[in-house]
Amino acid sequence: MQYTDFAPHDLILLLQGLGVSIALFAATTAIGLAIGLAWAMLRYYRTPLLSPLAALLAELLKNSPVLVQLFLVFFGLPVLLETELTPVQAALITLSGNTAAFIYVIAVSAIESVGRDQLETARVFGLRRWQILRRIVAPQAAAFALGPLTGLLVNQLQVTSLISVIGVVDLTKAGAILNLRTLKPFVVWTVIGLLYYLMARLIAKACARVETRLRAHSEWKGL
Amino acid sequence: MTFDLAPLAPYIGDFAAGARLTALACALALAGGLALGIVAALMRTAALPAVRRAAEIYVDVFRNVPFIVQLFFLFYGLPEIGVRLSAFGTGVLALSLAGGAFTSDVIRSGILAIEPGVLEAAQVSGLSRLAIYRRIVLPIALRSSVRPLGSVFVNLVLTSSILSAITLNELTGSAKIVASDTFQPFEVYAVLLLVYAVMTWLVSLSSAALHRRLNRGQG
Repeated sequence: MQYTDFAPHDLILLLQGLGVSIALFAATTAIGLAIGLAWAMLRYYRTPLLSPLAALLAELLKNSPVLVQLFLVFFGLPVLLETELTPVQAALITLSGNTAAFIYVIAVSAIESVGRDQLETARVFGLRRWQILRRIVAPQAAAFALGPLTGLLVNQLQVTSLISVIGVVDLTKAGAILNLRTLKPFVVWTVIGLLYYLMARLIAKACARVETRLRAHSEWKGL
Repeated sequence: MTFDLAPLAPYIGDFAAGARLTALACALALAGGLALGIVAALMRTAALPAVRRAAEIYVDVFRNVPFIVQLFFLFYGLPEIGVRLSAFGTGVLALSLAGGAFTSDVIRSGILAIEPGVLEAAQVSGLSRLAIYRRIVLPIALRSSVRPLGSVFVNLVLTSSILSAITLNELTGSAKIVASDTFQPFEVYAVLLLVYAVMTWLVSLSSAALHRRLNRGQG
């Protein structure tokens, strides 16, 4: 057997990488969603001081490369705070923060998409601010946000590939390892690219299904 | 816990050299991406289904595969088939290909937003197909796409940081060297973050200004 041939073990490496990519994507999406929504609440409740600060931070995170944020957290933070960070922890922190910033922007525009007259009507009926958010704003904002959210999730999946640069063995890193060993860049990177493509497709399809459900209330049902 | 920027002062020249390389790569990729994007957008709005399909596949693939994978594919794959490009050339090529996919989306919606009456009037006037594209479709579509093209370009600038993964010492690559020279990674990358934020902010300001200039006198 030649050293540069593909071995059955390569498949395990590939699946491992795929698992790491999916797990990190799922975890950072969940954390980012929670933080981003909390962040948007600061704005909804017009918290003084914190609300403009949140907007500034989101702007900064949106307008700088994720790779630099990753380096800042992985190489910079341990030196500054004199602690240690594993590559996976650094990836979790960075990607969650980045996702949160984009979720914040989407959530803010979704909340603002709900007409003012509806809010005024609700207030006249004596609903509290929380009830308005829960019963009137949230259901409509969620349907509005799903389009941009789909784009964001597909994008964030691709962003996870950057963590390979700081040494997390995700799908891209598995590809880099196989590429260096087998010296067959076309096969390796085509397979890796295809796997990412399929995952992106899956995410887009899942989001489209949720969107149809959320929009069901406004659908024409016939007379 | 200290935050000291003073030791970075001697390295300003390295940062500037990196920034120049980033700017050059982005400018070339902008030109390449715009050219590719216009061709792809015209193909996607063409009458022939086969032409439309081919362009759709191009856009679909380059939008749904991570940029770093595309970059590695070209960087390791091209020499394999005898195409020898420098890291810089490969980087610009990859950025143009990816940028073209996103640009075509913007220009396509600009083309689709043209009122059919305008095109019918041009056809009735007996203009050739080339003249219609050159004199009517593209000017209208490009003018209305300036602002969204600005955000595509902002993304391009951010994406160009990934070129540091193929040994290109652009802004991020040179910052990596400075960080390992000074042992002050936090300060270096914090400064880098701000530099990118300022650069993208300038890009969006100038695209907004260009948009206003090109669309002056329009409601």
